Amino acid sequence: MKRLLPFIIILAVLAAAVGTVLYMRRSAIQASTPVLNASSQPSVVASSDPGVVASSDPGAEPPHTIGPLDAPAQLEEFGDFECPPCGLVHPILQTMEKEFGARLRIIFREFPLTPTHQHALAAAHAAESAGMQGKFWQMHDLLYENQKAWHDAFDVRPIFEDYAKRIGLDVERYKQDLTSEVVERRIFLDMKRGHSLGVKGTPTIFLNGREVPFESFPADKLREVIKAELSRAHP
Amino acid sequence: MIKNHEEPANSALASAGKSLSRLERRRTVLYAAAGLFSLLGLADSIYLTIQHVTGQSVRCTIIAGCSEVLSSSYATFSGIPLAMIGAAAYFCVFSLSTLAAFGYRSAGQLMRLVVGLMFVVTLWLFYLQAFVIRHFCQFCLLSAATTVLLTGITVLLWRIRRRSV
Repeated sequence: MKRLLPFIIILAVLAAAVGTVLYMRRSAIQASTPVLNASSQPSVVASSDPGVVASSDPGAEPPHTIGPLDAPAQLEEFGDFECPPCGLVHPILQTMEKEFGARLRIIFREFPLTPTHQHALAAAHAAESAGMQGKFWQMHDLLYENQKAWHDAFDVRPIFEDYAKRIGLDVERYKQDLTSEVVERRIFLDMKRGHSLGVKGTPTIFLNGREVPFESFPADKLREVIKAELSRAHP
Repeated sequence: MIKNHEEPANSALASAGKSLSRLERRRTVLYAAAGLFSLLGLADSIYLTIQHVTGQSVRCTIIAGCSEVLSSSYATFSGIPLAMIGAAAYFCVFSLSTLAAFGYRSAGQLMRLVVGLMFVVTLWLFYLQAFVIRHFCQFCLLSAATTVLLTGITVLLWRIRRRSV
């Protein structure tokens, strides 16, 4: 019996560990609650969103999008509000949005490059907190348009609070949401999705699941890439 | 006369026997301690693995930085969560220390090897947190502290082994 005892102990610990894993996994999945509003259909294991590549992590759901769900061109951007090239791509994407209208859907994913950009995470929190009040895109635009104004600031919180006031947010709620679990989780899930897709820097853009090379980011080239994708979708 | 020669020899043997059994007891206690500490590391790693696999964000309650560390590209190795590899390593140490505590000598040698490897990986991960990611995650630090303790125990076991040879 004494010879068997260590093996019995090891097997008991293994069984306890496997049991704990199964129990915690089930609890964690059950605890996954809707993140933005009650009408959304969040999922932590798979996405029903046509713009989301099925074989990767789904990212925060529902994602921040512009354009119809069934648009033939689904453009997904992984962005960092403090990254200068992202600031340059921002007006280009706005132009594409106007030009292609209902044929293009833009999805924004948080990918703050910390510690390279010291305020990137704070900016992502600010945008997501605005998103909690349905004003993600307004904050998104303000952050990019004023990137140079806050980039070198020592403390960005009062600047972002001012933006929150400008876009008509309930500032007290905004401040509470900044440190909320939901906001933190959305950023985490977007970054996890980015890593699963092999995103290394920002901006990284996927068009219908295929990565668009950085050289194609100028407006005239990106326009051609989107047109080619549309003609492929509807020859 | 014979009796006079035998008495010191017997007492020396008895003293050596006592000393050996004391060392044996210490060795067993240290292996048991290693087993307990590896259980702590196992629990920590299992928690992080579950959070990673189910896509939950881990909130640091003592220091801020869990999200930054655990969502970084260093949190996985060839697509496998690092926490899962850690859990496997801690389970390995637990099994080997349990076997060693029950007298399986080769298990003890293998445990020293595994703990040595874990210590090197821990140093590398600590470097990444301190100088590359520049954020610390309390759960990763707990795991690092556990590995350092296991390394300390391994050093003590090695010294006992040298004394008993």
